Amino acid sequence: MKNHRLDINGVTKSFGPVEVLHGVNLSIEPGAVVGLLGENGAGKSTLMNIVSGSLRQDLGSMRLDGQELDLRSSRDGIDLGIRFVHQELSTIGSLSVAENIFLGDYLAGKGGLIDRKQMAKRSKAALAAVGLEGLNPNTIVDTLRPGQQQLIEIAKAVVVQPRLLILDEPTSSLTSVEAAKLFDLVRNLSRDGVSVIFITHKLEEALANCDRIVVLRDGTLVSDEAAVETDKARLIHHMVGKSSVFEWKGSAAKPGARQVSIRGLRDKSHLKPVDLDLDEGEVVALFGLVGAGRTELMETLFGFRKTAAGEVIVGNQKLRLGHVPTSVRNGVTMVPEGRKTRGILPSHSVERNISASSLDRLSHLGVMRSATERSQTHDFAQSLRIKMENTQQVITRLSGGNQQKAVFARAVMVAPRLLLLDEPTHGVDVGAKSEIYEIIHELAAKGMSVIVSSSELPEVFAIADRCVVFSQGELVGSLTRDEMTEDEILNLAFTNH
Amino acid sequence: MTENTHKSPAMFTNLLARRETSVAIILLLLIIFMSFANEFFFTQRNLLNIGRQASVVAIVALGQTLVIIARGIDLSVGSVIGLSAVTGAIVAETTGSQILGIGGALGAGLTAGMFNAILYTRLHINPFIATLGTLSMARGIALLMTGGIPVSFSGWASWLGAGRIATVPVSLALMFLLAALFYFVATRTRAGRNIYATGDNPTAARLAGIDVDKTRVLVFAISGLLAGLGGLILAGNLNSASPDLGRGYELDVIAAVILGGTALSGGRGSIPGVILGALLMALLGNAFVLLGVSSHWQVVTKGLVIILAVGIDGVQRGRED
Repeated sequence: MKNHRLDINGVTKSFGPVEVLHGVNLSIEPGAVVGLLGENGAGKSTLMNIVSGSLRQDLGSMRLDGQELDLRSSRDGIDLGIRFVHQELSTIGSLSVAENIFLGDYLAGKGGLIDRKQMAKRSKAALAAVGLEGLNPNTIVDTLRPGQQQLIEIAKAVVVQPRLLILDEPTSSLTSVEAAKLFDLVRNLSRDGVSVIFITHKLEEALANCDRIVVLRDGTLVSDEAAVETDKARLIHHMVGKSSVFEWKGSAAKPGARQVSIRGLRDKSHLKPVDLDLDEGEVVALFGLVGAGRTELMETLFGFRKTAAGEVIVGNQKLRLGHVPTSVRNGVTMVPEGRKTRGILPSHSVERNISASSLDRLSHLGVMRSATERSQTHDFAQSLRIKMENTQQVITRLSGGNQQKAVFARAVMVAPRLLLLDEPTHGVDVGAKSEIYEIIHELAAKGMSVIVSSSELPEVFAIADRCVVFSQGELVGSLTRDEMTEDEILNLAFTNH
Repeated sequence: MTENTHKSPAMFTNLLARRETSVAIILLLLIIFMSFANEFFFTQRNLLNIGRQASVVAIVALGQTLVIIARGIDLSVGSVIGLSAVTGAIVAETTGSQILGIGGALGAGLTAGMFNAILYTRLHINPFIATLGTLSMARGIALLMTGGIPVSFSGWASWLGAGRIATVPVSLALMFLLAALFYFVATRTRAGRNIYATGDNPTAARLAGIDVDKTRVLVFAISGLLAGLGGLILAGNLNSASPDLGRGYELDVIAAVILGGTALSGGRGSIPGVILGALLMALLGNAFVLLGVSSHWQVVTKGLVIILAVGIDGVQRGRED
């Protein structure tokens, strides 16, 4: 144990009832560059948040250079030389480059005033290290490209040499030249004894630049191999693991009974034109890595996001795009991702959460028909097996899975022709998950066409008649049930990476 | 149903936890105290007088409640009271028609409300800022229209402001009538549902297919319209429409709404609560006058009561961030 930079021993973490890390062990030597791979939701970010101090483990311990780590905040981690560069930009746009680099650690000169000269000087050195030699440290960050901003975050992390540098998808917004320079920096840091953990979805990048590659799957570390001893196919196999624990209930699709046609649909940002057809009772899974464009497609289809071009026909009716109330009236409903932020009405009762999309049908001349509302919401709550005391309970009293089922009930009660589900089982436990899969199957059997966006392969296999794969905003392939294999789906998902 | 027997104690604690109940209790205690402290307090004349004083604040606060439940705020109501009164008076004077005068006042209020709604929903200006702008503009327009000099306004307006049905002031009767109507709208209608959902979680409401923009237009329009009615009553009571009418009313109105248990964060609030809130504010004012306490203390106490009522709530709920 003595010569390790970082030792992680039996780290376990749960969010509510869901255990997301199961006793992870990992040791990293000084100067090692370790690639950390895994599917979305495998627990990579959670693990790194624990290592950097922004989350606390429930069980297990960690050591940094032999010293027990007891981090209470990311500040503690930074003070000990642990730097985490997140995937999402956290630069402050209205400040200068130098101010961003020294954010939280402004250099104070005489009388406690900020020493701008010294900050600019040291910023220049850090910028040179990340390949931004020419950049003036006084430039306002808002005027820079996302890639440059990403490099500034990295400069911020290395302006004082860290002991451990964690990079989460650092190259996703970089050009290939910038990425090459970043890897030069990583090699230099490694030579100086800095250990680097490198989270990525780009397998080639990991193979070319890491000493070791570890794979996390469902909160367990499943492989730890030298980069020279493994390859892309092996890594994908580790990431996917053995196939799903959920059983597929068979197809309810009526081939030829076309219900939904999407033609040339795109949004105003990075979605490329999408063509997609669905039959009655067909369940299509949208798979892709984070940022693949799945949510964008759903929201554009639903009218929540502005359309740039394209048309959507549901039943025999052409949808007026860009207006959600119209979409709902025409038989399209959505269960959005993010139960708390976009799903529930937190101060409302279960009943009113469920009826929220059906107010038209439940009212007469603008007056609610309360008795009908009560009995119908009760029936839907029952049929979706929502566990609660009664429908008058405030929704936040229910467990996450049951809250999600109430949002489901809301979308289903409208009797839509097309049901859109965006990561419908995020943050619900395994039991509720399999119930939700069963519900999806039952709805399909009633003739609804269902589009499910998912970043979990077992989920895709549990519910989909067909899997449509997105990569960087482009629909790159459509696989029938017979063609669907985990390796094939992942290969497609990596197409544009 | 067997569960009813378990329900009643739960319902009782529930009732105690509500802000309406604590405001009602404060109101009751104050009435009891005042009845002993001052012999003139518990007379029909004085009580109806309190009712009349409460009515304008309460009527305008009904609209404000809907706005705040929908997670907005309307700071312009005080100025819109002034603008509507002046518009009504001038229209009545120039046309000689009572009905056009009433229409002019209500129309001015409605227009101001629609203006706020457009700033918010079309230009995406935060309602706090949008209505702050309207607050200043409406007052300025009222001053420009009159040159700063009050215009006489009597006839139907004075019936609204000073008239009585039997012994009950018309404005008080109107307050109860509107309160009943708004209670019905808030609890029994589709529009009411949309308002609560919009304020509770606007993104979720939009994704559920609720027309959030339309709902916002509706609540601001209603708030403006009721401020117009408030202007009519105030001017009618004085037989004169001053361009300064309603100055500072936004504070009393918002205070009544907040006292009544409506959450500034949206999605929660009740109509009975706001009426109790407005009554409490008027009662406090009356108590200070009868007890001969300096009106300066009244200003301090008003602020203190709001902070206390909301503070107790905040301590009970804990921090939310």
